Amino acid sequence: MSSPSSRERRPSLFEKGEASPNALQLAEQIASFHVNPKTGNIITDKVTIVGAGQVGMACAYAIMAQGVSHHLALVDMQEDKVKGEALDLEHSSAFVRGGLKVEASSTYDVTHSSSVCVVTAGARQREGESRLNLLQRNVEIFKGIIPELVKHSPDCILLIVSNPVDILTWVAWKLSGLPKERVIGSGTNLDSSRLRTFMSHRLVPVWSSMTACGVRLRDLNPKAGMKDDPENWGELHTQVVNGAYDVIKAKGYTSWAIGMSVAQVVRTLLRNERNTHVLSVHAKGLHGIDEDMYLALPTIAGPVGVQKIIALQLTKDEEAQLQKSAQTLWDTAKDLKL
Amino acid sequence: MDELNIPDLPAAPFSVDGLFKGGTTLAEERVLLERSKTMSVITDKVTIVGAGQVGMACAFAIVSQGFSHHLALVDMYEDKVKGEAWDLEHASAFMRGGLKIEASSSYDITHSSSVCVVTAGARQREGESRLDLLQRNVQIFKNVIPKLVEESPDTVLLIVSNPVDILTWVAWKISGLPKERVIGSGTNLDSSRLRTFMSQRLGVAAVNCHGYIIGEHGDSSVAVWSSMTACGVRLRDLNPKAGMEDDPENWEDLHQRVINGAYDVIKAKGYTSWAIGMSVSWIVRNLLRNERVTHVLSVHAQNLHGIKEDMYLALPAIAGPTGVQKIISLQLTPEEEAQLQKSASTLWEVAKELKM
Repeated sequence: MSSPSSRERRPSLFEKGEASPNALQLAEQIASFHVNPKTGNIITDKVTIVGAGQVGMACAYAIMAQGVSHHLALVDMQEDKVKGEALDLEHSSAFVRGGLKVEASSTYDVTHSSSVCVVTAGARQREGESRLNLLQRNVEIFKGIIPELVKHSPDCILLIVSNPVDILTWVAWKLSGLPKERVIGSGTNLDSSRLRTFMSHRLVPVWSSMTACGVRLRDLNPKAGMKDDPENWGELHTQVVNGAYDVIKAKGYTSWAIGMSVAQVVRTLLRNERNTHVLSVHAKGLHGIDEDMYLALPTIAGPVGVQKIIALQLTKDEEAQLQKSAQTLWDTAKDLKL
Repeated sequence: MDELNIPDLPAAPFSVDGLFKGGTTLAEERVLLERSKTMSVITDKVTIVGAGQVGMACAFAIVSQGFSHHLALVDMYEDKVKGEAWDLEHASAFMRGGLKIEASSSYDITHSSSVCVVTAGARQREGESRLDLLQRNVQIFKNVIPKLVEESPDTVLLIVSNPVDILTWVAWKISGLPKERVIGSGTNLDSSRLRTFMSQRLGVAAVNCHGYIIGEHGDSSVAVWSSMTACGVRLRDLNPKAGMEDDPENWEDLHQRVINGAYDVIKAKGYTSWAIGMSVSWIVRNLLRNERVTHVLSVHAQNLHGIKEDMYLALPAIAGPTGVQKIISLQLTPEEEAQLQKSASTLWEVAKELKM
């Protein structure tokens, strides 16, 4: 099957190979542009959001207010509530250039032909509940969501926001039957204070990557982030881990920051902007990771999913931390009944 | 204090004075860009009082659309409002230009705001009329308004709390500010809901549908049928009976859906937030950038359209950093004017009983 020639893509500037055969490859190519023979890769801007709670609605609002998409489908168990949210959003359409259509239901038929499906639904950890138990409950929830989404939008990209995002992105991938490039996770959310420790392990600060106004931090302070750093940059890592926790303690949850983050990722996906975002991607084979698991890495993703993963120059320590994260996640994931 | 040499603002490119030679002017000029001696710089600092659903939707809409990069949030619950501020600040990585969000239960952080948005107040309960909220909110305003004015004497007060027309009047009385600098969000959202429904019915983008709902925000609002156009075509040219009792297309149904719009959302999700947030964000943008865009705002309506009472009602108006500049002179039918006059007197009957 060949794609319609009128829709053949010109070679991208970022394609591996022709441009600089001897230069170091900046980005590990994951998938070349795949053209769907049935649809000719027509990308609509329809976005489904599953879960109309604080996070889901913040995503919807950020997407709508910034004109990232003009067609949303919201799904939530509580039909009244989600229909009310949709009405409220639609009443804003006079303020959005280009109109606005927001559909809502407790069933998935409204989600058909979405380009991106954002999943924010998930169980909240109960008092004293083990991590494995919470995960298994979320697996059951995802079994009700993921196949429905794929059925109604077989070409979509699944963007998982629910926590713990790496494992749940992996679960979503397994349940979806989609190629791994089309299931990604957005990794900056914290929806439970209990997951704070979980986060501190998976958040590996890459000190060599930190620059301000074009100047590399480690050029100014070679010890930045190390144990004997006189400026104690390591405190930034603690602040990041605690940052979301502080918000949760103060207002009960986080929403605005994750909403903006997701809106930006969705914009990149829909418009094929080729921006780099740190997303949960399938990490096996990278940085010495052996496990079949998802981890957050700087990634370029577009309407057909992950295209490139940036080849970071990590220290041995940083690589070891990543490998340890992968092992820990795999040890939990392998016991899940999918 | 030395006299500040403030140059006159250049004439607005949108000014239509002089275009209508011999005819009525489009806009009734209220204040000729009065400038305070102390205000030489317009910052983009916006205060939002009340970090509930409406206040935070306003804040997020303003921030996500880049209309302001400096907010001050005030709420009784210090923990909650600080948490909201951090959450917003964490979003700054996804925005061009930084974000500074201050938060407190006290008003010192609100100093030097160009606009103060007041959303504080009791939430409208299902089935509760807007007037029932009133006395509860007057007490709250006695605490809020003087502090805002003390910290930002040159600010524009934008009242969102319901019932918005009376509460804008209350805020004006308490503030001691000139009436042009106290406005309410009025029927801006009602008008935008109308435009949404028009666009759905006609199958065109809402941005190309225009029409005003004016007067008292709520059950007694007035739909100005002569103002309704879509893609440049006046509705009444297509259907001369649009909005009348014997209208075969029943356009009045759209007006009813607007009136019920908030109730529908409240019944389904418990409150409204997103639409009012967007509406307020665009009013704020207009105020800060002096865009001279027309919004339907609660303004002091005495002596307009035969209104005798000292009261606020929503009318299409042009407002900027110094407050209301012009009010559009609508050509209303006698019935529409009578409705406005009735609203004004009803609101006045209630307002004069309030203990201020």
